[in-house]
Amino acid sequence: MNKRKVVNLALSLIGPIALIVILTMPIGPLTGGLGIIQPFGGIFDNGAPGPGSQTIALPGLDAEVEVIIDHLGVPHIYAESTYDAFMALGYMHAKDRLFQVTMQNYLASGRVSEIVGGYAASSDKFYRTIGLARSAQDSLDWLEANAALDPDIAEALDGIYAEVEGANAFIRSLTSANMPIEFKVLGFTPELWTPVNCLINAKMLAWGLAGSIMDFQRQWIRVTLDNDTLYNDLLPDVLPNIIPIIQEQVNLSLAQYPLGPGKVPASETPDLSSISIIAGEVQIPADKLDALIKMMNDVIRPLGDLEFVGSNNWAINGSKSSTGMPIVAGDPHLGFQAPSVWYEAHIVVPGELDVTGTTFPGIPSVLIGHNDHIAYSFTNVGADVNDIFVEQLNPANPDQYMYNGEYRDFIIHQEDIHTKEGEIIPFTVKESVHGPLLDSVQNTYSLDGETHPNLAMNWTISGATHELVAMSELMKADDVFQAIDAFYWWDTAGQNCVVGDDSGNIAMLVVGRFPIRAGYTGEYPITALNDSVGMVSWIPYAHNPREINPARGFVQSANQRTIAPSSYAYDILGPQANGYRARRIYYLLDNNDDITVDDMKRFQADVVEVRAEVIVPYVISAWDAVGDGNTTISDVVDLLRVWNFDMEPDLVAPTIWMYILDAIHEETFDEISSIDTAIPLSRTPILEEFIVTNNAYYFDDHTTGPVETRDDILVEALFTALDNLAVEWIDEPDWEYGNRHTIYIDHLASFTYIGGGPHRGQNTINVAGGWVASSGPSTRLIADLNAIDVSYMAYPGGQSGNIFSPHWDDMFAIWYSFNEITEQHGYHVMYFYSTAAAFRIADTDGSLIERTITFVP
Amino acid sequence: MGKIDDTIPVIGFLPALVITIVFGIVFQLAGNWMLMLFAGAFGALFVRRIRKAFLVGFLGIALAWSLLFVYLSITAQAMAVANIFIGLLGLDGLGALVIVISVLIGALLGGFGGLLGRALYEFLDEFLPSEDGSDIAPQPQPESAEEEATLEE
Repeated sequence: MNKRKVVNLALSLIGPIALIVILTMPIGPLTGGLGIIQPFGGIFDNGAPGPGSQTIALPGLDAEVEVIIDHLGVPHIYAESTYDAFMALGYMHAKDRLFQVTMQNYLASGRVSEIVGGYAASSDKFYRTIGLARSAQDSLDWLEANAALDPDIAEALDGIYAEVEGANAFIRSLTSANMPIEFKVLGFTPELWTPVNCLINAKMLAWGLAGSIMDFQRQWIRVTLDNDTLYNDLLPDVLPNIIPIIQEQVNLSLAQYPLGPGKVPASETPDLSSISIIAGEVQIPADKLDALIKMMNDVIRPLGDLEFVGSNNWAINGSKSSTGMPIVAGDPHLGFQAPSVWYEAHIVVPGELDVTGTTFPGIPSVLIGHNDHIAYSFTNVGADVNDIFVEQLNPANPDQYMYNGEYRDFIIHQEDIHTKEGEIIPFTVKESVHGPLLDSVQNTYSLDGETHPNLAMNWTISGATHELVAMSELMKADDVFQAIDAFYWWDTAGQNCVVGDDSGNIAMLVVGRFPIRAGYTGEYPITALNDSVGMVSWIPYAHNPREINPARGFVQSANQRTIAPSSYAYDILGPQANGYRARRIYYLLDNNDDITVDDMKRFQADVVEVRAEVIVPYVISAWDAVGDGNTTISDVVDLLRVWNFDMEPDLVAPTIWMYILDAIHEETFDEISSIDTAIPLSRTPILEEFIVTNNAYYFDDHTTGPVETRDDILVEALFTALDNLAVEWIDEPDWEYGNRHTIYIDHLASFTYIGGGPHRGQNTINVAGGWVASSGPSTRLIADLNAIDVSYMAYPGGQSGNIFSPHWDDMFAIWYSFNEITEQHGYHVMYFYSTAAAFRIADTDGSLIERTITFVP
Repeated sequence: MGKIDDTIPVIGFLPALVITIVFGIVFQLAGNWMLMLFAGAFGALFVRRIRKAFLVGFLGIALAWSLLFVYLSITAQAMAVANIFIGLLGLDGLGALVIVISVLIGALLGGFGGLLGRALYEFLDEFLPSEDGSDIAPQPQPESAEEEATLEE
């Protein structure tokens, strides 16, 4: 044998082997390796151009399903059974949003490390500790155990099975062309869905809306302030100048609705915490408290920072509308993300279901929208439904805790975390009667002298919940009263649900499970050694706050105080929103009659800053009274004099206002900032109250000799604001608000973004908090019960999760657009044809329908 | 069966290049970059010098992938994809570089495939009988008078 040829062969292997290694090894964030930059089968294979009309086999269908994709990529699903319809919806969810659903599921299940690697282990530990996946499994087990007893439960469960079956049909058909680019970059192949995944999605939604743990923050602030008078004055739970959501409470019959939300036993005994507080606050050591707060702040929140999770909704009845029938409006505020939280769909099953609106990908429900008889939308209640219990451990056995006079064993959950690198990170979660031990996540328990975790999280939404039964019923409801029946099942995150029907009724239904606390307030961590202290029951559904056809002719909510404590027997613990959006909504609805759909659109686009409307006149007045004539300040005050309080991007006054508000807070609440600058400087309704009532004590700067008046502080704030503005805007001397008030919607994996332009609003109905608005109206709905087939919607994003699809951001363009003349943002008509044939007939110029997918068994 | 190099004729560099391009495109449609090694090796069947084998594979796949990228730029926003990808590495605005690197990777795969293929054919020919029945391997025939370089050099 010629040795040189052997050597040649061996040498020639070096190049290919080296290349294979280089092209498959992870490089930074590209865990899929460089091989994915090949022309086909990699990132360039992105499914574009999209296919035309298709016929797709979907095993498991009972009959053919026709899906008309409209010009915005919205599927209109025409099926002969709800099972078939939700199978098609599941397929569409997976086809358009597979990466999003996978990420949200893995995040909520504590499995992100499997996709991105072990650096996500802290997030995974957190989510495994709070146990969303365990609770989802409890929900599924309950549904499966009770489906035979109640056709409503069976129907909801069928929807889950259908969604999963449809999604899996798509996942099984994945090719290099339709595999989302994110998976290619991450080198990850998505798994098939299981029914529990749907419920994990629902639990994640609940956590995003109602997962705040205020106990740590409250305790830290109170301990740091070390002044209960100051604390109670500046940071009360019930704020002044709030217009409550519910003003004409309607209780239902306890005989007809004897149970609590979710149809669980409930007590009609009102708030017990005020009767006797027997469990005192347990002080968590400062360093442990700091670590816990940091842990809570660092964890990824599914719907954005809870501070910005809010919403508006309202409805007018025939007495206020131009049509004589209700008009319903809703714009839920969530953290912006791309792809959007929402996915629009229209589902038609003749004789059973005809509903359209936004779905949450991975959940077989239209969560916001309308059917052929009712329209509905949600806002978050923002109630504190999550308490911390400090368990008293058995000194001889840390796996036990004291309860009802004996040491009980913690339930031990072995939650080992698997990483992309192939490692297994052992992780154990203990659970007491109150809930999982939150300080399992980090070794914070060592900071309080305990060598083992002992802080149990008692969340009302842990365990089995029944929200998908509620949604299954709600989508079919024919009027407000059937909606009320549907919400009997709703025991997840507290929501203010606005409903209007084509019988002329309107309602604001506060739905969800609210705890009745005994022996403690729920504000701070406590130790509960027996079952006489804790969340002992729930407000019975019959007594949940609600308004039905109030005399004023409208209902409204914007996350403010649910109901005045003086007019409600139960305690709904906050904190809730400052209430400025609600005040503006109330003003607009109360002071207008013959309101049209166009008016409603205008209201949703409203950017009047109510805070400025109240406070700026005092600032001007103070300058006029005690100002020193400084020409720069005078010029600025002159701008404020003519400002109409609109937060428009091309104005200067909004920029000045932002700086003035901050400065007034700083100048007024020196009592707080002098203790610790990290403490929140009160809330604006408190500041407003002090200004309006001229609270001499708090306006005096106690660190100086002379006594400062309100006007002194407001003028001082003017100087401070202008100083800060001049320094921070040195490169943009025109100070136009839109220069820096922009919208930016980041892709879930930061591949790209949507937006970037100037943005209207602030703490206004059209909410856009901060300078770079990262949250706001996640969709806008206007539903006219007089002509339900001409209702409107738009959300900031697009139907497709494919960055390169024309439907990636086409809906954003509509949502973002603003007509200066009509003072409206853009919307699209929610096409509501009851048959595919009718839709085709209506599409006379081919502008409505993009293509058709026919699913065949 | 005779020796591979006795069976497969030398057809010249350009025809071999065209064959490699065709195989590069066809194999790439399967979406597996490793197949470029085979495309290069296939092209190397039609040349004899190991340096030419590398060049046929290198240029063939480079041209094949370039043609595919032209198509993808027109139909599938290849430049936008490239820009997003390079952005992940913190090199915003250098999307063209991704395509250049991709073509280079493809070319190297083709080139190394050609190299490997040629070495493999010559190795296998050691064990295959020649067409006249002799089992003695023929000496490599230079494709032209001036060609002498081999890998051993």
